[in-house]
Amino acid sequence: MITKKRGAAGQGSWWAGAPGLFYLIALVLAPLVVIVIYSFLSRAKLGVGVKWEFSIAPYVELFYSESLSGERSFDPTYLQIFGNSFLYALITAGVCLLLSIPIAMWIATRPADRRTTLIFLVTIPFWTSLLIRTYAFIIILNDNGPINGFLGAIGAISMPIPMLYTPFATVVGLVYAFLPFMILPIYASAERFDFRLAEAAYDLGAAKWTVLRRIVLPAIRPGIIAGLVLVFIPALGSFLAPELLGGGKTSMIANVIAAQFGASRNWPFGAALSVMVLVITLLVLLVFAVLARRMSRTSGRSSWEVLL
Amino acid sequence: MGAALTVRGVTKSFATPEGGEVHALKDVDLDVEDGSFTVLLGPSGCGKTTLLRCVAGLETPDSGEIMLHGERIDQVPVWKRRVNTVFQSYALFPHMTVERNIAFGLEMDGISRKDTIDKVNEALQMVRLDGLGGRKPSQLSGGQQQRVALARALAKQPEVLLLDEPLSALDLKLRRGMQLELKRLQRETSITFILVTHDQEEAMAMGDQVAVFDSGEIVQIGAPRDVYLAPRTRFVADFIGEANVLPAQWSGDSISIPGFDDLHRSLIVGSESAGEFVAVRPENVIIEQAESGNGTVIEVLFVGGLLHVEVEVQGSTVSARQSSMVAESGWMPAIGDRVQVGFRAGSVRVVEA
Amino acid sequence: MMVKLKTRRSLGGLVAIGLAGVLTLSACGGETTVDNGAAEETTAVEAAPSEETAAEGDGSEAASSDFPAPNGGELNLYNWTDYISPDLLKRFEAETGITVNLDNFDSNETMLSKLQAGGANYDVVVPSDYMVAQMIDLGLLQEVDPAAFPNGSFIKPEFMDVYFDPGRKYSAPYMYGTTGIAYDPTKAGGEIDSWVDFFDADSPAAGKIGTLNDQVELVHAALRAVGAEPCSVNRDDYVKVEKLLLDWKPNVAVINSDGVIGRMASGEQTVHMMWNGAFTRAQADNANLEYVYPSEGLNLWSDNFAVPVGAQNVDNAKIFINWMMDPKNIGEATNFVGYDNGITGSGEFMLPELSASDAVIIPEEFKALAAPVPGCSVEAIDLYDAVFTSFKK
Repeated sequence: MITKKRGAAGQGSWWAGAPGLFYLIALVLAPLVVIVIYSFLSRAKLGVGVKWEFSIAPYVELFYSESLSGERSFDPTYLQIFGNSFLYALITAGVCLLLSIPIAMWIATRPADRRTTLIFLVTIPFWTSLLIRTYAFIIILNDNGPINGFLGAIGAISMPIPMLYTPFATVVGLVYAFLPFMILPIYASAERFDFRLAEAAYDLGAAKWTVLRRIVLPAIRPGIIAGLVLVFIPALGSFLAPELLGGGKTSMIANVIAAQFGASRNWPFGAALSVMVLVITLLVLLVFAVLARRMSRTSGRSSWEVLL
Repeated sequence: MGAALTVRGVTKSFATPEGGEVHALKDVDLDVEDGSFTVLLGPSGCGKTTLLRCVAGLETPDSGEIMLHGERIDQVPVWKRRVNTVFQSYALFPHMTVERNIAFGLEMDGISRKDTIDKVNEALQMVRLDGLGGRKPSQLSGGQQQRVALARALAKQPEVLLLDEPLSALDLKLRRGMQLELKRLQRETSITFILVTHDQEEAMAMGDQVAVFDSGEIVQIGAPRDVYLAPRTRFVADFIGEANVLPAQWSGDSISIPGFDDLHRSLIVGSESAGEFVAVRPENVIIEQAESGNGTVIEVLFVGGLLHVEVEVQGSTVSARQSSMVAESGWMPAIGDRVQVGFRAGSVRVVEA
Repeated sequence: MMVKLKTRRSLGGLVAIGLAGVLTLSACGGETTVDNGAAEETTAVEAAPSEETAAEGDGSEAASSDFPAPNGGELNLYNWTDYISPDLLKRFEAETGITVNLDNFDSNETMLSKLQAGGANYDVVVPSDYMVAQMIDLGLLQEVDPAAFPNGSFIKPEFMDVYFDPGRKYSAPYMYGTTGIAYDPTKAGGEIDSWVDFFDADSPAAGKIGTLNDQVELVHAALRAVGAEPCSVNRDDYVKVEKLLLDWKPNVAVINSDGVIGRMASGEQTVHMMWNGAFTRAQADNANLEYVYPSEGLNLWSDNFAVPVGAQNVDNAKIFINWMMDPKNIGEATNFVGYDNGITGSGEFMLPELSASDAVIIPEEFKALAAPVPGCSVEAIDLYDAVFTSFKK
């Protein structure tokens, strides 16, 4: 943001970036700092709030707990919940990816004026709140809902298929909530894709699947990576789908964090969980960044080893 | 030598966005000799690229047959045809190095690693890019990218190599060089080349045979010299080289051209049935200063060793071209001069409309 | 974001948005409107007696002439979401000339943390029973002595010497209710009259059981089912509770505090932990439903008006709390939220279906079962959290 080079054309002086820096600190960094600080403090008298006394207890609690029977031992509960969240986020990102590539490619190959309309349609779900949209799925997936109603009406099933309040419903809700975040960046990449490259690949003897894998996917990779990040990270912290569609039976990490600031009254622990989420998110981003760089280096490498 | 490629009655139409239909190819026939260099020539939108894409398999003809060494290929998927294309845009894969671009087609053929390496290096040598294999296409000049595209297609040793306006993006000087290069490659590899261009000079310079396209049809096909010297239609005469196309009318054994003396049948080329126009190349037009002549000079251009003179004869404009050396000897045409315009014997050709 | 923390107060808000049409619950939302209409009519007709009552009150408390008279200004009220009739507030504004600014919270903890953070500037807050005790303990409430207000005499005797505020020095009663079990005896496959029945690992209603997504209520109930007391700090109790809950979990279809009315009314679930106010609404659509006072006992919760330290308009706060203790006014409030209140004489202003409901008005024989649970210690809260987290893992 701030460059040491002075007088370069169009760069202005260093303080020209000050408002941006200020917003960055005030709106992004400051809340994070508060969370990190809270995670190293002690609980307030009745658990609501914090006491300004340094403690690493919240972090110990992440892995060790006094079990209900009283011994202090390694406790995988929170790791398991992290694992759950991770799994859900991964499945969500994967399903979104599989659905988005064909959708985005299809839109990108429409005439320019229709593309605008289609992209506009993709964004329509954003017009209503996620809560309402999630409730809509309660109706859709219900035992008495339209899907079971239809299947029953055509005689495909005699008993309703239980869909609501299952992990399946959670995934459906998550995928629905985050699908546009995958479609849009992939579309942005696909729209720039030069379809003559696909023709060239066909011409060189590549069948459809190979063209997709070797030519199209590398070209839309920036969109895919952006989409994966945009879906995976918020899915990791999602809150509504597991509660409302999953029936609240499998917590995701956000549900546990919310409880710490509510009925469980353990703010420092909630903050520590948040820091963990933050760390995991950063790790995931790092993995993505390394992956992206290595992939681009791989294809750019002159060494024959890579090819062969 | 047999036929590498045979095209019979190929027709292709496209729907226009307005709901109309464009006939890109109308019942096209074409024979290409094995090991020859054929040029498909015509203005943009004439159908030549569509034919090329039909041969490549990137378009499917509505009807007709395309045969490669006697085998029908018009329904064979593009990736199974032993035909490769050099695209106008080069279409190099931007995320792959030069080597990997070239190796891509070989991998698709399941060629062994060792052979792939050899063939890639061979192809790079052939197009004189040795040592640049590790670069990305974006690190190469336009001419170099062109060579990579060539090497990529040639490395597959196709039965026919299709070149879609391959030189159009290069500057003039580079283009001349590449024309020679392509001729050399074609000779060395003895692969059948089919090149699409709208540049008639390029077509003349490179083709063993030139097929001239007009509105979805091949209007004339033959050796460049034959096509140049004996244009069959007004379009060909006009499109290939320069020509003065004048309306003409047969009367008995002679033909009359407005503004000129009637010409006897023996002085002209082409039969009575051939048409109602005559074509004369500018170099075959003779002008002499004459106060009572049939024309008036309306433009004089001094272009290097040649003098371009435009003369108006009875409402038609006739171009003449003469050595500027001639002018040195005395008379130098000037705008407004009255001149007598005539044609060299045997240079007037009757052409179809 | 706070869906998880939604509680008994927001009975049908979300359901009305989300499910009304499809699950044919329109009656739920619709009836509320009708009820309000009816209540207003009642008000109009019986306006005179009510004012008389109020006047009487003033007269009898003539000694406390220091009680403030309305003099305009503002009142900043911090209440649960959807927990007071907007029409009632309008009438208060009309009668007193005081402008009410309403803010909402969705859990006691949210409210407490906001007040602790300072600068919240509320004049009246609505903490639940145990929270009143904790706020007094933390020094967050003003001792305004509501029992001495002109209408303080209407406080029901059993709501006077409550554990969290003996003698009502800090708080005035608002609504109260119970957290029990609702079920459909025709479909549940067996009779239910205890928490043991509810948490039965071999329940015949398996797959049709729902429970509130409420850590405190669920663990309270589970502790009772294993024969322990709520807020126990005996770890052995929690080992039993954890086993009970995990064995029972496969039977559970949904753990969610929202949409309970809809799910029970439509028969989607046949057994559900439920708040009594919500139950009456579900029963209106599904007459088969029964409300169970479990034999091990159940939580009797109550919400209260209190004045936080730092309130800017203490006089207006007192006027509001006093006004709300008027039987007619609080009766009207009850008609909106569906819970009974702690004010004597409000019954005659209540809708008949409420005043006649065994779920709303605790029948004599069950009165002993319904007892308030004082707030748990932090130690107990930790155990609650551990066992609940494990249950929802």
